[in-house]
Amino acid sequence: MARPVLTRPAAPAAGPGGPRPAPSRRLSARTRRLVRPWALLAPALLAIGVLLMYPLARVVWLSFQDYGLDNVVSGQPDYNGLDNYVELLTDPYLWTVALPNTAVFAVFAVGGTVVLGTLIALLLRSLSPLWRTVVTGCIMVAWAMPAVTSTYVWIWIFDVDRGLVFQALHALGLIGPEGFNWFTERLTFYAIVTLNIVHHGFPFVAVTVLAGLLTIPRELHEAALLDGANAWQRFWRVTVPTIRPVFAVVTILSTIWDFKVFAQVYLMPGGAGSNAEVLNFGVWSYVRSFSQQSYGLGSAIAVLLTLMLLAITIVYLRALFRDEELR
Amino acid sequence: MTATTDRAPSGRRTAVAFGKGAAVAAVLLFTLFPAYFMLSSALSRRSGSGTDALFPADPTLDHFVGVFTRGGFLTYLGNSLFVALLTVVGSSLLALFAAVAVARFRFRLRTTVLVMVLVIQMVPLEALVISLFLLARDLNMLNSLWGLALVYVALSLPFAIWMLRGFVAAVPAEVEEAAYIDGASWGRMFWSVLFPLVAPGLVATSIFSFITAWNEFILALTFMNDGEKYTVAVGLRQFFGQNTTDWGAVMAASTIITLPVMAFFLFVQRGLVSGLVSGAVKG
Amino acid sequence: MGQKRILSATAASTALILALSACAGGDSSGGGERTLDVWIMEGTHPDASAFFDEVAADFEERTGATVNVEFIPWADAHDKFVTAIAGDTMPDVAEVGTTWTPEFAQAGALADITDRVGDTSAYVPGLIEAGTVEDRLYGVPWHAAVRAVLYRTDVFEEHGLEEPRDWEQLREAALTIKDAEEDMIAFPVPGGAEYSLLPFVWGAGGDIAEQGDDGTWTSGIDSPQAREGITFFTDLALKDGLSSTGAATWLETDVQDNFVDGKVAMAISGSWTPKAILEANPDLEGRVAAFPIPGPEGGHSPSFLGGSHLSVFNGSEDQDLAWEYVQLLTSDEYARRWTEETTYLPGKQEQLARYAESEDPLIRPFAVQMSQAGRGVPVTPAYGKVQGQKVLQTMVQSILSGDASVEEASATAAETIEKTLNGDG
Repeated sequence: MARPVLTRPAAPAAGPGGPRPAPSRRLSARTRRLVRPWALLAPALLAIGVLLMYPLARVVWLSFQDYGLDNVVSGQPDYNGLDNYVELLTDPYLWTVALPNTAVFAVFAVGGTVVLGTLIALLLRSLSPLWRTVVTGCIMVAWAMPAVTSTYVWIWIFDVDRGLVFQALHALGLIGPEGFNWFTERLTFYAIVTLNIVHHGFPFVAVTVLAGLLTIPRELHEAALLDGANAWQRFWRVTVPTIRPVFAVVTILSTIWDFKVFAQVYLMPGGAGSNAEVLNFGVWSYVRSFSQQSYGLGSAIAVLLTLMLLAITIVYLRALFRDEELR
Repeated sequence: MTATTDRAPSGRRTAVAFGKGAAVAAVLLFTLFPAYFMLSSALSRRSGSGTDALFPADPTLDHFVGVFTRGGFLTYLGNSLFVALLTVVGSSLLALFAAVAVARFRFRLRTTVLVMVLVIQMVPLEALVISLFLLARDLNMLNSLWGLALVYVALSLPFAIWMLRGFVAAVPAEVEEAAYIDGASWGRMFWSVLFPLVAPGLVATSIFSFITAWNEFILALTFMNDGEKYTVAVGLRQFFGQNTTDWGAVMAASTIITLPVMAFFLFVQRGLVSGLVSGAVKG
Repeated sequence: MGQKRILSATAASTALILALSACAGGDSSGGGERTLDVWIMEGTHPDASAFFDEVAADFEERTGATVNVEFIPWADAHDKFVTAIAGDTMPDVAEVGTTWTPEFAQAGALADITDRVGDTSAYVPGLIEAGTVEDRLYGVPWHAAVRAVLYRTDVFEEHGLEEPRDWEQLREAALTIKDAEEDMIAFPVPGGAEYSLLPFVWGAGGDIAEQGDDGTWTSGIDSPQAREGITFFTDLALKDGLSSTGAATWLETDVQDNFVDGKVAMAISGSWTPKAILEANPDLEGRVAAFPIPGPEGGHSPSFLGGSHLSVFNGSEDQDLAWEYVQLLTSDEYARRWTEETTYLPGKQEQLARYAESEDPLIRPFAVQMSQAGRGVPVTPAYGKVQGQKVLQTMVQSILSGDASVEEASATAAETIEKTLNGDG
């Protein structure tokens, strides 16, 4: 999408009536034009540089060290080369627990979020404007719930002894009075996390996809209809290709977000370290660093997570640039 | 879909309408249930079990009173509000400047800056928390609300810049030129022409920054060691640890910290959606 | 027009922020006032703020310094301490769990108080030992704690049960309760409470870890004896169904909360809990008593002899003032009142002696447990790390959830413990 980026014409065109333009002024105006964007960017770049880029570099730095509590207190580094990475990558825990808990979970969470969000967007498009507004407003409620509170609500719903799900299943005779502990089993634990994430994440997808849907010219659909395409075919042949960039963006953004899930795991019973089966990369890194004071090892885990996300981001950028969205 | 219903025979039309109604009901049930259940648990006098809490027979505000008197939530709310407002002001201002720079000027490295802003968003906070903690320690910013807000400004900046860029670019260049023709300086044009025109975008980004700061958990958990300085998210965790079986109280506390966010969200829903779409999708 | 509105909105919000910062950041500027930050553990105590308000008022009268007490839940405390040490945001004085004192001392966080304390013979020897690293003392014993079995006398009477004298009787009693009381958990087997497990490991003759002559640690948590104890403990839940499914992720506080709610018939519980339980649910008054944890074939199973030290932190700007506060808190008057109010056992021998003679059914069994079958965990700075990694909790949880057998889980735990204690973790 071409933007009216302002490349202001040279000064003479600015105002024939103006008495101001003197040669020296014009020169300084040009310098100012060169400097101005950087002056405007400086505060933001400074903040990003000091508070995001530098810490990122430092965490890479830390990942090559054996950094414990005594190192933090004394400030003395203790380099151990690639030891942290060797230890991590040869640890079956990474391959059998942490990675599946991060990546496989993300696949399901993203799939659920995007599919549900798209279905709801299609539903919203078919509603009258009044209903569309009402339903969108209600969807916002799910989005607006802070992660911390929604996690506690889900824990309460799935409470082992008195939760709603237990009572419902018990009343139906599906489980006995001893109940079922959803939080100790990895699969059910992540099923709840997925539910929590999908519930929180689908509104963004629904709203964004809806906006995309509304930009599709009606004629396209009508033409397809004349060709005898049914609703299913029209969806795949007209809707999907037209708003493919939108799908790319919501999928990749959701993927990035779902790889980084923290509070939704950390706050669940056993999620803060006592149940090693359920940690994902983020929580693992945090627990390693702040509960067990292996800041170096925790940093290495964090670096691995960042690399995974970087790979996904590159795909994201490709998707954006291919459609020449950024120009 | 609309096209189909227009032409369908009336029997099928009612079936479609019915299906749609059922779908809407299902969507509403799924989206609203957790919020409803949170509220109903908070209001029920006895929330000993899920079914007791589902339909509060004997509603009471006792849990809310308890949360404010015992739980220290007034302090947490104050802290969160302070941090969030500071974040909003800081990030809106910096993001506006930066957005104008990338949307209104062509300069070397412009694309690089944009890509960097985009890429930095994907860096997981879990990766930064270790070194941010060490940085904050060295700068004596631990246990400081100002320090926390400063980090939040940086965190919310990339998205805010990305989103505001669309709003700034949408302002026609002619408007600016008209201002120059009237003899306005660049600074004057910025404040009296551009700024009011992108104000809706600023509102949307502000909400985003506000919510980022209000909901953020991991940094607040790590930075704030002093219970007096807890933000709502960390305060809720502390409160839950002390009242693990008192779900009524925990849900009341959850409701209290959810309401401001929800109010904001609903209030600016429209701006938010259009802002998001223009920022995140149209690019 | 629009600009004006926005400017005024900006101005208003800035004013609001300034106003807020005035109250939110009110205490940030230090100035000449002397204040003391004190951390006291919470979550298992009854509400202690009244007691500490009084001590603070007294202290202010004596020294002119204000005291700012913060209550820290036990469950978070270790993380919070190490984060504070790492972040240099330590308090001046804190109640430190005895197993953590060596760890924090080695990290350089605690002040050496050997010379300030002087003669230590008045204190319970186990607590002095726990606070000593390389012959220097880093914590004053404040109170001692031990766990025994807390039970509901009304439930026992109703079903004609007597206090069990060995493991089999304990199991039988629980089975009877399980059959008769459908809504009650006969004997919770909490997955997140290491001290509920240890009596069974120790009782069967097992051990967490022992240091050899060459200084290396060997874990006995995978020994046949320890496995027998772990098996007995987890089978109470897995085979006999005496616990609840939810208990697999419970912490000790969850056990306590459920006891308060009347859902638990007996449970391993700390000497400080009866008071808190009765305070939270006065209906239980007179319906709760305790017995020492029985041994496998009679006698007693050892229970963790823990407690708290009061430590002065190195980061404190005025260590003399901090020490004065410690002295005030451990003075005879306040120490006595604290133990009376909390049913914690005192850390001084002379004060403790009185308790062993007490006839109170909520005090005597704990005192007996402590004097006859109290035991410590390995005294080494690295043990705090083992606790930080939640090794024993992870082991129990993986057994309870069926992910690992007792053999597998204990082997993994032993490996982790040895790795951590021997410093390659």
